[in-house]
Amino acid sequence: MNQDDQRLLVVDNLATTFHTAGGPLPAVGGVSFDLNRNETIGVVGESGSGKTVLTRTIMGLQQRTNVTVTGSVLLDGHEMVGASENDKRALWGTEVAMIFQDPMTSLNPVMRVGKQIDESLRVRLGMSKADAKARAIELLELVGIPSPAHRYNAYPGQLSGGMRQRVVIAIALACSPKLLLADEPTTGLDVTIQAQILNLLDELKEQLHMSVILVTHDLGVVATRTSRIIVMYAGRIVEIGSTREVFAAHRMPYTRALLESSPKVTNDPHTRLVTIPGRPPNLLKLTNGCSFAPRCSFANDRCHQERPELQSADEPGHAFACWNPLPKTRKRTVKTT
Amino acid sequence: MTSAEPLLKIRDLTVSFGMGHHSVQAVAGVSFDIYEGETLGLVGESGCGKSTTGKALMRIVEPTSGTIELDGVDLVAQKGKALRNIRTRMQMIFQDPISSLNPRRRIKDIVAEPLDCWKSASGAERDAVVSDLLVKVGIDPKVYGNRYARQFSGGQCQRISIARSLAMRPKLLICDEMVSALDVSVQAQILNLLEDLKKEYGLTLLFIAHDLAVVKNVSDRVAVMYLGKICEIGPSNTLYLEPAHPYTKFLLGAALEADPDSPVHGDVLAGEPPSPMNPPSGCRFRTRCPNATQQCADVEPELNEIAPGHRVACHYPLTVKTRRTRTPRSAA
Repeated sequence: MNQDDQRLLVVDNLATTFHTAGGPLPAVGGVSFDLNRNETIGVVGESGSGKTVLTRTIMGLQQRTNVTVTGSVLLDGHEMVGASENDKRALWGTEVAMIFQDPMTSLNPVMRVGKQIDESLRVRLGMSKADAKARAIELLELVGIPSPAHRYNAYPGQLSGGMRQRVVIAIALACSPKLLLADEPTTGLDVTIQAQILNLLDELKEQLHMSVILVTHDLGVVATRTSRIIVMYAGRIVEIGSTREVFAAHRMPYTRALLESSPKVTNDPHTRLVTIPGRPPNLLKLTNGCSFAPRCSFANDRCHQERPELQSADEPGHAFACWNPLPKTRKRTVKTT
Repeated sequence: MTSAEPLLKIRDLTVSFGMGHHSVQAVAGVSFDIYEGETLGLVGESGCGKSTTGKALMRIVEPTSGTIELDGVDLVAQKGKALRNIRTRMQMIFQDPISSLNPRRRIKDIVAEPLDCWKSASGAERDAVVSDLLVKVGIDPKVYGNRYARQFSGGQCQRISIARSLAMRPKLLICDEMVSALDVSVQAQILNLLEDLKKEYGLTLLFIAHDLAVVKNVSDRVAVMYLGKICEIGPSNTLYLEPAHPYTKFLLGAALEADPDSPVHGDVLAGEPPSPMNPPSGCRFRTRCPNATQQCADVEPELNEIAPGHRVACHYPLTVKTRRTRTPRSAA
């Protein structure tokens, strides 16, 4: 069933290394996965796990002199790694678009929001000024901004955080991309606004037949809105699988620790939280062993000396990188949707 | 709720900020009690006035009117030395762990600052107190005492802030979004540490946060604020399981559980909070409330007790039957 044309994105052994004063810093250290058309995949991990660098590398934004990118990102047949600026520019907007983390700073503060949406329509799609304006107003309406014709002339500073994020989404969607990279699209927004934005992304994904990579540190965001999840730690994938499988039958101790240390609304007051001792590793001083070993209660000599590669679990598509995986758990009864 | 007399009694607290010809009421008549030994959670969305309430209690911002009684003494009426004396009994921990520590001072001096201000300890005694506090929060004073804040991670900086706040042995700790900038694994460490220290030092906490799951995990009681007013206050389990105010229900419905089987796409609250410069008449939530009627526009609802310790400001509080359902009642 998994024909090549089903796969929109194939990432193969992608590595991004920053050359810093302290030595090479492998922010992304060999990541491989693929993404089907119309699929939403979640990327979770703590700060510094490489999730943002991964999305920026997929987008092709990571090409400066102090960075080395190796491996391959094949987007709908186009190779992004090593592509020239002009080649990439031809793909941005129509093939791939990105929603950045901070809606406060990703808009130009001295340019009317309508003009910021127009820009890509006129440059990329060659629309006339009047057509572009009409389409921009349509887009503002699509992302749920009230009185769009009026807001077309607003400056970002006149809009709330939720509204600005909607504008950012409108810009990303302007040229109907096949792949949308959403990097923490709701971090910093209030919960009720977060719910609105996540619902909007879900609807638009269906309407426009997009694939989405949803990057977040919040497991609650990915739990119900993705079909698969990637768990990252220290620049590598430590577990990947269907969302249900990762939540209910994860094998990697880090995944469990991440799930257990999140407070739950259903907990009683003063519930003791499970903590992971220590801190994420310094990427400049990575050892040959498993990066999680120093914080892992199951670690043995092998974990400290030899890095585990991803190995397949029972369910197809589920893989984990661990020498001492958690025992297979009895799966919770799952409802079919 | 260990004693009948509250430690802190807040009545009709208002805070206004001038904005040119207008003024905005960030806190618009808030009354609640904090009992000795409990943790009161204060939740709400950005701009609802929860941080301003916390700051007004410390008189970091000046209350416009109302009273704040700590053990029977009205803080609003105090000034000068008397106010300084009272402030040692209340301390605050801020959201951004790194910017709330002076970048040019060594952390052992940061923690010792309250002692120096009050000249309550000096020399070897001062060093002993500081070392003890740092050990309590899990930082080795011998190794790290001479370092600067920038040499620590966010979680460690928050530990240092906690050590500093405990130096004067306060009774009340006001925690303003103290874990919201931290990763989940670090957040769990800090929350556990706070619980331990609360027991050890006999602290009373006002825990201000927007994260409903975090608040549920630490609080005995929870107050929900919307646009400068408290709309519901009650024991955590009751409030989370059977919210009586429609806003509380929407807020809880929007909280995401890290569980693929949790019900999703429940009713999402439409729109955004109105401007506090021009709040709606009557009930402040009525413009977004599916149950609102003419009465809600005309009469402001009072914070009425509907069960022991459970108060709600709504003309049509959700009944036990309607509270648990996910579909809102249609407008009457």
